[in-house]
Amino acid sequence: MISYRRFAKSYLAGTLLSLSLSLSTLTANAQDGKTLFQTNCASCHAVHKKLTGPALTGVEDRWSDRKKIYAWVHNPAGFAKGDAYAANLLKEYSPVLMQAFPGLADKEIDAILDYIKTVPAPGAGGPAAAANPADAKSAEGDNTLLFGVLTLVLAVVALILLQVNANLKKLSDEREGNPSVEPVPFWRNKAYIAVVTVVLFVIGGYLTSKGAMALGRSKDYQPVQPIYYSHKVHAGINQINCQYCHIGVYQGKQATIPSVNICMNCHMAINEYKGAKIYNEEGEEVNGTNEIKKLYKYAGFEEGKPWDASKAKPVEWARIHNLPDHVYFNHSQHVKAGQVQCQTCHGEITKMDEVKQFADLSMGWCINCHRETKVQFKDNGFYSIYEKYHQDLKSGKIDSTKGITVAKIGGTECQKCHY
Amino acid sequence: MKKLSIISVFSATVALIACSDVKRTPGHVYMPDMAYSRAYESYADHSNLEEQGIHYTNMPVAGTIYRGEEMPFPVAKDQGTDTSHYFASKQVKSPIDSMSATDAAEAERLYLINCGICHGAKLNGNGPLYKGGEGPYPAKPATLVGDAKYENMPEGQMFYSVTYGKNLMGSYASQLSRKQRWMVIRYIKNQQLAAKAKTVPAAGAAATK
Repeated sequence: MISYRRFAKSYLAGTLLSLSLSLSTLTANAQDGKTLFQTNCASCHAVHKKLTGPALTGVEDRWSDRKKIYAWVHNPAGFAKGDAYAANLLKEYSPVLMQAFPGLADKEIDAILDYIKTVPAPGAGGPAAAANPADAKSAEGDNTLLFGVLTLVLAVVALILLQVNANLKKLSDEREGNPSVEPVPFWRNKAYIAVVTVVLFVIGGYLTSKGAMALGRSKDYQPVQPIYYSHKVHAGINQINCQYCHIGVYQGKQATIPSVNICMNCHMAINEYKGAKIYNEEGEEVNGTNEIKKLYKYAGFEEGKPWDASKAKPVEWARIHNLPDHVYFNHSQHVKAGQVQCQTCHGEITKMDEVKQFADLSMGWCINCHRETKVQFKDNGFYSIYEKYHQDLKSGKIDSTKGITVAKIGGTECQKCHY
Repeated sequence: MKKLSIISVFSATVALIACSDVKRTPGHVYMPDMAYSRAYESYADHSNLEEQGIHYTNMPVAGTIYRGEEMPFPVAKDQGTDTSHYFASKQVKSPIDSMSATDAAEAERLYLINCGICHGAKLNGNGPLYKGGEGPYPAKPATLVGDAKYENMPEGQMFYSVTYGKNLMGSYASQLSRKQRWMVIRYIKNQQLAAKAKTVPAAGAAATK
């Protein structure tokens, strides 16, 4: 009986609480308002930004009466006939006419209007500052410097000790009465000269051969681009597929550099950068919004006006990956037929702010991969003509765990890439 | 002794300065004729060709249709404040009635790459770029499944929007061929039908017939 009563009590308290909550209308309404706003209005309106339609902040100050707003939302075209302000709006945003929402009740519109009031202006709460990568980098630089200085100091100490040793020996020789030999200065000492010559020869040979091999290879090449375009922000944080921009990668030889049109697909609306702070390789902070403005210059786009694509000029990106003229490389062959991931050759692009060349793109690197990589033979129409291999795989003549490498289907033949 | 220490300190500083970890230049090549093509390759600057007396057409003749491509869309883009073309596009019929399993998979792949980023993998208008208002995209992308406006929209009108852009959405004509655009629209229609069939099984069966 007692527990029953207690239950009833708490139930009553609960209903009272929820009642009082629903009575504090503004916040509760604003909650519903947010969902209502997103389902009905957000396609064309933002609170603090002009999109297809006007920014909605302060909308109530612009209209004399809430009742007028109800009428407008229920039937924009009809209401505009009898209202000068609404007629002006129509003219300003023509040819776009706001969609009518006859199904929205007055209370729901109230909720939306209340929600609009609660949205803080942008810039009120800044994004959390990311850890400064420049600090980490300078710390790394300090380490190499430290090791260098240490090596130098140790070498000097060793030299001094050797000299001290020689002097001590000379002193002891003198005391013992041994005839002292006229000391040979170290730059005429044959042992010293021999050691230095050998060391110089080894270092020189190493540097020469390394330099010769590096000719024409530009691993880690990371040019400054005309616009600071961060692959990390686009492909990493915002999860845009590589092929959204590099459309050719599935269809042809070139991966293709996206046209300004593809940039503008999103950047017509996204005109400011609000993510974590970004830095260039020199450790300076980059203003993302300014970089978007640079894109607008190339596109010939003025904010708030419709974009005329014919005014756009191509962005002259600096080419990073370059193969010499005598090598044929086809992207679709690797990505579509071979089902190779982009990252295999280009590295962790989704983590690179500024892209750098990941592989050295040398012939040895290509051949190595062709020797080791298994061809995706299963369910791949491209390789259906290799009937014998398919049969051998089935009969177990070829170990299916080892599979067919690219080299086995001619991937190391000279004329596959050089013709 | 002094000489040696001066030399060693000097060479050590040179070595330290030389090895900055950011490589802003591509480095040297031998035989630059081979490394950098003498022939005009993709993305080479060919703006000065005419000065050299070389005339060529870098675009195919207007109206060229490559093999396997669908016929051109008969409706032109609206100019200025006119919206008649947008409404006229309702009449255009899709050349794709049904898709094979491989085509359907390809259409889904294309949708996820090009459209899913805004309209969502579930076609609910909540892709990673919008993220319920948290993402960088300021406008709510259209809810393709679950909004009567888009479920009733004829395929021709969808094609108009995908081709020329509509409101804040840009043109996808540079990314998707005509055939691919029709395939993606067919995919969206199929998803809409599938969702309807789930909610109203009886009505759904009639609709898919």
